[in-house]
Amino acid sequence: MSVSVRSTILSQFEQVAREQNRKLAPLSDDLVLMDSGLDSLCFAIVVARLEDALGFDPFGATEDARFPVTLGDFIAFYEDAAK
Amino acid sequence: MHNVIVTGGSRGLGLGMVRVLSSAGYNVIAIARQESAELAAVIQDSGRGPVHFRAFDLCDTPGIPGFVKALRREFGSFYGLVNNAGLGTGGLLASMPDAQIERLVRLNTVAPVILTKYVVRSMMADGGGRIVNVSSIVSFTGFSGLSVYSATKSSLVGFTRSLAREVGKVDITVNAVAPGFVDTEMTESLHSEQRAKIMRRSALGRLVAVEDVANAVEFLLSDKAKNITGTVLTVDAGSTA
Ligand SMILES: NC(=O)c1ccc[n+]([C@@H]2O[C@H](COP(=O)([O-])OP(=O)(O)OC[C@H]3O[C@@H](n4cnc5c(N)ncnc54)[C@H](OP(=O)(O)O)[C@@H]3O)[C@@H](O)[C@H]2O)c1
Repeated sequence: MSVSVRSTILSQFEQVAREQNRKLAPLSDDLVLMDSGLDSLCFAIVVARLEDALGFDPFGATEDARFPVTLGDFIAFYEDAAK
Repeated sequence: MHNVIVTGGSRGLGLGMVRVLSSAGYNVIAIARQESAELAAVIQDSGRGPVHFRAFDLCDTPGIPGFVKALRREFGSFYGLVNNAGLGTGGLLASMPDAQIERLVRLNTVAPVILTKYVVRSMMADGGGRIVNVSSIVSFTGFSGLSVYSATKSSLVGFTRSLAREVGKVDITVNAVAPGFVDTEMTESLHSEQRAKIMRRSALGRLVAVEDVANAVEFLLSDKAKNITGTVLTVDAGSTA
């Protein structure tokens, strides 16, 4: 399960970067999202697509969801919500 | 076939939009608290596009995310959203009950904003869409007894402009339509004298019909309007000209 969450997220990053003509930094767990090459609009698209793909949105569910700092945090956020 | 949601699609302007959009070949989803006999007749005998009714009270803002999710599951991706449902409660501000003020703002401003949030997310995921917000000329002209209503209708103009900037890059357009006075249940409290005055003062010497407003909405949803976003289209027979 967690493998598929991770790979779903990574492929969405790549796809959205392609569609929005963004240069995506190499994806690693310690990549700071703000340095990933995606802007806030791209993240909004990623989160909306992930909700479609995974069936949930961890940011919508919590009252004061802080946006994760690194890609690793972002993935962990989704993996925790999937449990 | 493109799915278009029309809030307040059971009566008045919304019902007219449902008719016109169905004739234009959209799959129309009309939202209101109750299905009207007129809407039921349109569903029975729709134009090129089928018409559906789904009951929902838009004042129930916490229920909006789940409602949108259910619509998406049932109908698939959304092409258009027309935020038309609204209350036209009038009254002098000094004597308007606070609860009534909050209800107006909730239905006319908060509900369309939250509904748009969830629909636009889905449009973003799908890579495009059209949003039309129904404002009113009173947001530019002012009208005694409609201060709260005007505030809500102006709020949709600001919302339209900024959201258009936000989502333009994903090929979503956001526009507003500002109708002048139209004969519907909302305006039936205006007496014939006021009606005659509005007519006399309009450049064209007549009132706007429901179909005129519906046609403007259809245009903004159509491919012909693909390069129009962040604007307000006034449909008022020249009342504010
Ligand atoms: N008529 C005019 O002259 C005029 C001029 C300028 C702008 N406008 C704007 O045009 C829009 C439509 O006006 P109208 O004259 O057609 O109004 P209307 O005849 O009173 O119809 C209002 C529609 O909204 C629905 N609605 C009301 N409360 C609702 C709620 N809580 N949840 C869901 N749906 C709700 C109603 O159905 P239910 O009651 O069954 O829920 C109905 O379908 C409004 O935004 C209004 O501000 C009208």
